[in-house]
Amino acid sequence: MRLTIEGIGKDFPGVTALDNVSFEILPGETHALMGENGAGKSTLIKIITGLYRPDRGRLLVDGRPVDFHSPRDAIAAGISAVHQERNLIPRFTVGENIMIERPPTRNGVIDFDKVHAEARKFLDMIDPSIDTRTEVRHLSVAQMQIVEIAKALSLEAQVLLLDEPTASITGHEADALFAVVRRLRDEGKAIVFVSHKLEEVMAISDRVTVLRDGRIAAAGEPISRMDRGKIVSAMIGREERVAEMGTRDVDRSKTVMEAKNLATSFGHKSISFQLHKGEILGLYGLVGAGRTELARALIGDGKVVSGELRLNGQVVTIPDVPTAIRRHKLGYISEDRKAEGLILTHPIRSNIAISVWRRIASKLGLIGRAAERRVAEPLVAKLEVKTPSIEQAVGKLSGGNQQKVSIAKWLAAGVEILIIDEPTVGIDIKTKTAIHELIGEITREGVSVLLISSDMPEMITLADRILVMSDFALTGTIENSRRYEPMSREIMGFIHAGAEAGHAAAATAHG
Amino acid sequence: MTLSVSSQSRARPSWLAEQSNLIGLAVIIVLFWVLFTSLAPGFVSSFNLFALSRSLAVDIVIGFSTMVVLATGGMNLAIGSIGVCAVMASGYLMQTIGLPIPVAMALALLLGAFLGWLNGFVIVRSGVNSFIITLASASLFLGGMLILSKAQTFNALPPEIAAFGRMRWGFLSPLLFVALGLGAALIVLFRFTALGREILAAGANPRAAELSGVPVGRAIIIAHTLSGALAASAGLMLVFRLGAAMPSIGQDWLLPSFLAPVLGGTLLAGGFVSVVGTILGALLVTTLRSGLLVMQVGNFWLQLFLGLILLFAVMVDRYRGVYAERRSLGRKNPRQTSGRSA
Repeated sequence: MRLTIEGIGKDFPGVTALDNVSFEILPGETHALMGENGAGKSTLIKIITGLYRPDRGRLLVDGRPVDFHSPRDAIAAGISAVHQERNLIPRFTVGENIMIERPPTRNGVIDFDKVHAEARKFLDMIDPSIDTRTEVRHLSVAQMQIVEIAKALSLEAQVLLLDEPTASITGHEADALFAVVRRLRDEGKAIVFVSHKLEEVMAISDRVTVLRDGRIAAAGEPISRMDRGKIVSAMIGREERVAEMGTRDVDRSKTVMEAKNLATSFGHKSISFQLHKGEILGLYGLVGAGRTELARALIGDGKVVSGELRLNGQVVTIPDVPTAIRRHKLGYISEDRKAEGLILTHPIRSNIAISVWRRIASKLGLIGRAAERRVAEPLVAKLEVKTPSIEQAVGKLSGGNQQKVSIAKWLAAGVEILIIDEPTVGIDIKTKTAIHELIGEITREGVSVLLISSDMPEMITLADRILVMSDFALTGTIENSRRYEPMSREIMGFIHAGAEAGHAAAATAHG
Repeated sequence: MTLSVSSQSRARPSWLAEQSNLIGLAVIIVLFWVLFTSLAPGFVSSFNLFALSRSLAVDIVIGFSTMVVLATGGMNLAIGSIGVCAVMASGYLMQTIGLPIPVAMALALLLGAFLGWLNGFVIVRSGVNSFIITLASASLFLGGMLILSKAQTFNALPPEIAAFGRMRWGFLSPLLFVALGLGAALIVLFRFTALGREILAAGANPRAAELSGVPVGRAIIIAHTLSGALAASAGLMLVFRLGAAMPSIGQDWLLPSFLAPVLGGTLLAGGFVSVVGTILGALLVTTLRSGLLVMQVGNFWLQLFLGLILLFAVMVDRYRGVYAERRSLGRKNPRQTSGRSA
């Protein structure tokens, strides 16, 4: 089945997510779809799988125009996706999940023997080791992906979209997954492989399409004609990312946060690091490595079970988030702005002032809008939040402006240490630069930043030093030379070392 | 449209647009008043207006009791039980112990606040949905009260109680002014105090509020405590009205307690309350009840009407929620491709 994407465009308020995107996906190929965060990959996937409808352009299947109103339509046309957010039902068995769309029945009752027999048939094509009678919640992330692929096969998918399939699985599991991908391709299926990991893309794809700022930067180039440098320059629009920060001169004489052999309730072991005043300390790792959980433990949204945490030299225990903010001037910006960062239905004014309500209240506990405006307005102006009004509901702002409001909230609170988790997820490339500059600026004003990111260029642009985390342990610390190639190789080296160590430990434990 | 903000350019949605829901509700109420007055002139007699003001006072406070918990995105199904516990406690303290009226009333209010606190505490500590916790505590409180009181009505209360219940200011009961006073206090709470803002933030997005330094658990417990105290107030208002403390009070509160805030625009999902809306919602409920009574239509019909109206209000709430989300996320109905105006 040939899927043609023809002149697709999609607008959201204030931002054109996709503009005149055209390329073709052919049967029997693995087609990599690449692009930085905010390049428009996920919008395009949502259009192909029927979640969004394009504002311009059209999709053609084998040359015939199609119009998807829902994911169901896309599935009926033979297009299935394995999304990052799992779409399996944890308490149903593997077999039930695979056959959920059309369970075989006998006399109007579900025939479970047949459910498992049918599911077995599809599972055997890719991984016979998974039992169809296991409940999905007992599977590993990698196994869940296999189940999702089997489910897609059972729906007679001819085009299979894998969205960041290796984001949260280990190297060994990824190798097994790639073997499956190759086999399906050889059987004539079209595989669309979405990833921002260059090594993987070079290893398994036949052709590559790169999106940048919602436009095509490379359309279906055969991988034999591409190399690493060409893909990177297509993604970022120039040969190699130059450090936008200029040279940073951080005085490392003052340590504001120091962890010694921390273990947490999330399962971190012997975490030790130092954060200096005005420094940007990067924390790199794959999704699931335990970075966000470490941040949560540090701000009192989880427990430190052993070891020592020092802030400005003093040993502290932080029982809850309000204490972290008020007493220790320690704040956290979640990667999930919508669910954890902001109150979307409330205005910019109160989203910024929320961190200081207690401080700006009068003796009777009263706070007026004017008091909130006095806090919020200078910050909105300083950070150049683009909005018609400070009373605007935050949900109506673009992602970049929402992120500025998050940062403004912590500047209002007067934090001295700020943990920022994936600051530019879903933010377009121009605003991204503005956010990066903003983070640089607050550190020059004396705020120390612990930066969590899985965006390698961002990490190398921003961080002064980089901690690498793998499987809830720190596997290395690197001084940032701001040269992309050697830095990324070194970082990936620590991640693989961590994964190998994990495997070795598991093997010893079993043996 | 994309300019940095300065204090001069504070364009806000027009006042009228913001109040459209309340204006709609007021129009409906006026229409019912016109209808009832034309069908049964006794509806606007001073006797009926007085009776109406007394029951309106109770309906408003019941509505507030649920509203403060809806603000946190939770609910309180135990308000009837808390109310009757306070009622029976006040009766016992006045009739059996012989405490002065203000002391007995204050203790009864404290009991209501304590029972509400208990709900909030268990909800926050257990992390279980407020629906199920208050469903259980409703039965628990009611059962405890019935065991202790043996379901005996206290009908030998000090005569001042019934006298106050009969008192008129003009043709209105002073109880109505008590209810409106509580409303004014709630407006101040939710608009102008850190505590009230924290309760709303906790309701709108508990995770974001927590990570912004709002003590969410505390806000939820305080909202439930307040809800308990308000339920007790509503119960005590009925003691004044009836001149007795009866164990049957509170059993028919649940429906009107939700109707008033939801009709008035308080979001079921939490994070937004309307005090004036709740008052208007309660006025609609009371108007219907009184009107149907004056027209001598049976109570069965009232139940049917109130059910229909709640359903209607919930539909409107749902529609507003979807609409607000679509506007804030810029997502149109996927089936409408034309008309791209965000």
